[in-house]
Amino acid sequence: MPIKSYLALAYENQLEALRSELLDLGCEVIPSENKDVLVVVTDVPSQAEDEVLLERLQGLEHIRHLTLVSAFEDEKS
Amino acid sequence: MSTNTLDRRSFIKKMAALSAMAAAATMFPGIVFPNEQERGLPQGDGNIAWKKSPCRFCGVGCGLLIGVQNGKAVAVKGDPASSVNKGLCCVKGYHSVLALYGKDRLTRPLIRRNGKLEPASMKEALDLVASKMKDTIAKHGKDSVAIYGSGQWTIPDGYVASKLMKGVIGTNNLEANARLCMSSAVTGFMTSFGMDEPMGCYEDIDHAGVFVTWGNNMAEMHPVLFSRMLDQRLRRKGVLIIDFATRTTRSSTASDRSILFKPQTDLAVANAICHEILKNNWHNRGFLQKHCVFKKGKTNIGYGLEDNFKFTDEPKDMTLAEFKAFLEDYTPEKVSKLSGVSVKDIKYLASLYGDPNKKVMSLWCMGPNQHTRGTWMNNVIYNIHLLTGKISTPGNSPFSLTGQPSACGTVREVGTLTHALPYGTVDNEHAREKAAKIWGVPVGNISPKPTYHTVEMFRALDRGDVKFIWIQTTNPMVTMPKLKRYRDGAKKEGRFVVVSDVYPTPTTDVADVVLPAAMWIEREGMFGNSERRTQHFEKMLQPQGEAKSDAWQMIEVARRMGYEKYFPWTEENHVEKIWEEYYKFHEGDKHGIAPYEVLKKEPGVQWPYVNGKSTKWRYHVKYDPAAKGDSFDFYGKPDGKAWIWARPYEAPPESPDKEYPFWLNTGRVLEHWHTGSLTRRVSVLHQAVPHSYAELHPTDASRLGVKTGDKVKLTSRRGSLVLPASVNERGLPTPGQVFVPFFDEGLLINELTLDAFCPISRQPDYKKCAVRVEKA
Amino acid sequence: MTNKKSSYFIIIICGVLLSSAVFIFFAALQESKRPAETLQQPGSETMALPTEAGVFRRWAMALKYKDMPEGGSRNLATYYANRAYHGAPPLIPHPLVSEQGIGGRTCLQCHENGGYTEQFSAFAPVTPHPEWLNCRQCHVPKKTEGLFAGSNFEKLQAPPLGQAAMPGSPPVIPHGLQNRENCLSCHAGPAAPIAIKTTHPERVNCRQCHVPAQQEAEVFERPGGELGSNW
Repeated sequence: MPIKSYLALAYENQLEALRSELLDLGCEVIPSENKDVLVVVTDVPSQAEDEVLLERLQGLEHIRHLTLVSAFEDEKS
Repeated sequence: MSTNTLDRRSFIKKMAALSAMAAAATMFPGIVFPNEQERGLPQGDGNIAWKKSPCRFCGVGCGLLIGVQNGKAVAVKGDPASSVNKGLCCVKGYHSVLALYGKDRLTRPLIRRNGKLEPASMKEALDLVASKMKDTIAKHGKDSVAIYGSGQWTIPDGYVASKLMKGVIGTNNLEANARLCMSSAVTGFMTSFGMDEPMGCYEDIDHAGVFVTWGNNMAEMHPVLFSRMLDQRLRRKGVLIIDFATRTTRSSTASDRSILFKPQTDLAVANAICHEILKNNWHNRGFLQKHCVFKKGKTNIGYGLEDNFKFTDEPKDMTLAEFKAFLEDYTPEKVSKLSGVSVKDIKYLASLYGDPNKKVMSLWCMGPNQHTRGTWMNNVIYNIHLLTGKISTPGNSPFSLTGQPSACGTVREVGTLTHALPYGTVDNEHAREKAAKIWGVPVGNISPKPTYHTVEMFRALDRGDVKFIWIQTTNPMVTMPKLKRYRDGAKKEGRFVVVSDVYPTPTTDVADVVLPAAMWIEREGMFGNSERRTQHFEKMLQPQGEAKSDAWQMIEVARRMGYEKYFPWTEENHVEKIWEEYYKFHEGDKHGIAPYEVLKKEPGVQWPYVNGKSTKWRYHVKYDPAAKGDSFDFYGKPDGKAWIWARPYEAPPESPDKEYPFWLNTGRVLEHWHTGSLTRRVSVLHQAVPHSYAELHPTDASRLGVKTGDKVKLTSRRGSLVLPASVNERGLPTPGQVFVPFFDEGLLINELTLDAFCPISRQPDYKKCAVRVEKA
Repeated sequence: MTNKKSSYFIIIICGVLLSSAVFIFFAALQESKRPAETLQQPGSETMALPTEAGVFRRWAMALKYKDMPEGGSRNLATYYANRAYHGAPPLIPHPLVSEQGIGGRTCLQCHENGGYTEQFSAFAPVTPHPEWLNCRQCHVPKKTEGLFAGSNFEKLQAPPLGQAAMPGSPPVIPHGLQNRENCLSCHAGPAAPIAIKTTHPERVNCRQCHVPAQQEAEVFERPGGELGSNW
């Protein structure tokens, strides 16, 4: 069950648009108050779904740049 | 999934988010995320709230963040958002909150009964102070009562004192201890520029290529700014620090060149630098022609050693040719003999100032200010910068530093000195009218004649001309020169001494009433630092015991004297209301101050504050909205020019001789601030420097047969003191010189010092008198 | 629900992260329309505190740290006792070479890189901020045990160690990072107090797993400011 966090950069003045796109994908989003940067936290049940999500993230219309920061795998035994 | 798992997953998500925020912070400095995201994470230091305040100690005015937990101040860190210190403090700042919690804090009023200070209620004490003040005025006139305040007063404290004394009661018997440290800086600015306080700011440090420190041990006295200089030297090629001083200090060892001069001869060396600049045609002709005039004043102006000493200077015009002729007495060769500075070093200094490609910053504090020719010293440093046109632009900056957190804000800007008003001086009709209008008092209330400057005020107390004195936030029974006379005077029959302070001191020892004061962040207030920056701090803690702020103590007494209508504020809103009233004095683009709400928000605001912006450099049209024309505009003077003064070298009133063969120099150490009444209550600081000492040169020490820790006896014509010697420790005086820090109330070096002062600024010279040194 | 063994791993992406950070940063600069003049203002460069640049300082030592012997004599109790409150600058606990000078040239001889000193039979602790040369500005010795007057100051205690979300997860950073952003200087090497010594100095990018705990990480924020929040 991977949990990942990213930093997403929006184009100038597109922060709000990017935020709603991310929310539509079911991500947790924390926008910065003073920069065009968002913290994105994803939580999906499986590795496969995670890969799909990543692709969709990268294809978003308003995203300028996406950087992975950390990833946790909460393993079941 | 169980709740447990859910908790864990949500925790991991928070950690993931936090990692991302931390990463974002490294990539985008200053990035801000909404606060609520950080809740619910593991605790660091419990519930510490961090609140901003300027430091309580020196005039640098570092921004601090005070950690407050359960109603107590528990920690300090530097405020990264403050442009003054950008997050760095010195050891005093880091431990400043410990100074609030000394076991012997004064928490209740004391009244002297049958020779003993006994506890009393606040009501009784304030009633007594008010009735004494009223009776004394009725019996002996308005000029028999005085208030002696402080550069550690907040701005509202000073404002209440000024309004009460000058506006309501109608006496100019108001002085502050900044007379002892900053008045030469003030008269220097007034005579050269017609307006007080530096034209530049600390940001000059980030631009200057050469720093010359004039008699100023910045590594210990202004360490945060010194570190900024060192930092610049590391970052930028060719940055030089030149230490020009009378003894070798930590600043000397950290500098690129240490140049030592004989006491008092800095005047001559500065003139020699001017001589060289003109001789080599390094002066800036266009600048001089357009923006400067030459003046000369009286010479052989005396030393103020006698009571009721009077002096008024008379400026006379001079030409550049005449100024050059005046400087003929100051060739490097002649001055080298007098000062002990080599011809090469004098020429080197001149070449640094004269090099058109170098930006030069001069920094000074007590060396040139505590000087019997202090005003002249300030003038001659400005002369160098004016001759070369190195002024009022980033990195070109004659910068007068201050020693107290609000010497500028409270004493110089509010004008808590005998000749001053919050705007202008008492001898100026327009200034009196303005003050009377804002204060709502008849203009006739404000006396046009200055009365006593600090030394003369304590002489008047000794003579009996002043019978009631209220001393706040300062410790004159440690700091007055020739201390014995003034201590004996204060103790005389028929004198009534009120002292407001936070700890018992030698000054509370002579008090008839002691009022416990709320200290620093136990009340709301503002300080103004060396670079015209006003900084607000909120009330973060409850005052201890019955303590009240100085301002509120005075308001309570004023009300008891029947002056309620002039002080109609509540204890909760008085700081805000006072600021609104004070604001009116400075309106306009030459000295406008920031509104209260702005001060509350900002890490500090520099005046002139015009159209929502601080002014970093004054007198240049590029940076200063008040400046007119196309470049420089010295609008402080009616002629729009800066004045270059011909100021000769004159000998000090007392020099070493056969009987008293040593120079005595006094000053501070990094760990202790002023009289140590605060810093000695801080374990770390006290334990680092537990007592005062006498620094000797090793050759003098071996001739006397003393080593570090041995007792030596210092004797001057005023008194004597036995204290431990210090050889090859922190500082290294020149042979024939002894240095003693003044913080130690157990070893009062001011018993020996001389109460000679600069006749223009009336600031005493604590740096030079003659003593004998013997093995004790 | 059966007992699950939770484990975590973190994908090391430090290289990717940093290079992209640098890229983004410069891209952002290029996009901005600020004149070159303001960019060069030295004011914006000075004393950037708190800086996070120090996190990776001493990384070259990381592998050496791993192989260094135990044998440090410092423990957490004396470590905490040597300062006025949690977060205060520590005292100088030993006799000094010289009282003259600001310390940069003397103190850093031992405290820049550490190492064994015969004189004190101990490993010298390493300063996290060797760029500050006026050491004596903040660090002072103790010349007496006496006090001028007693104090009612209540010493702020350090928070407990090992605050982690769950067994095995990385503990949070329980102290402020201002002037102390370089982790390895205090948490690795023979001078590090055993209790706070990391078992894995070679992993270098500490802040990838260890994040600041809430309160101390919180930077004081103003609604506005001369410097804005962007200085």
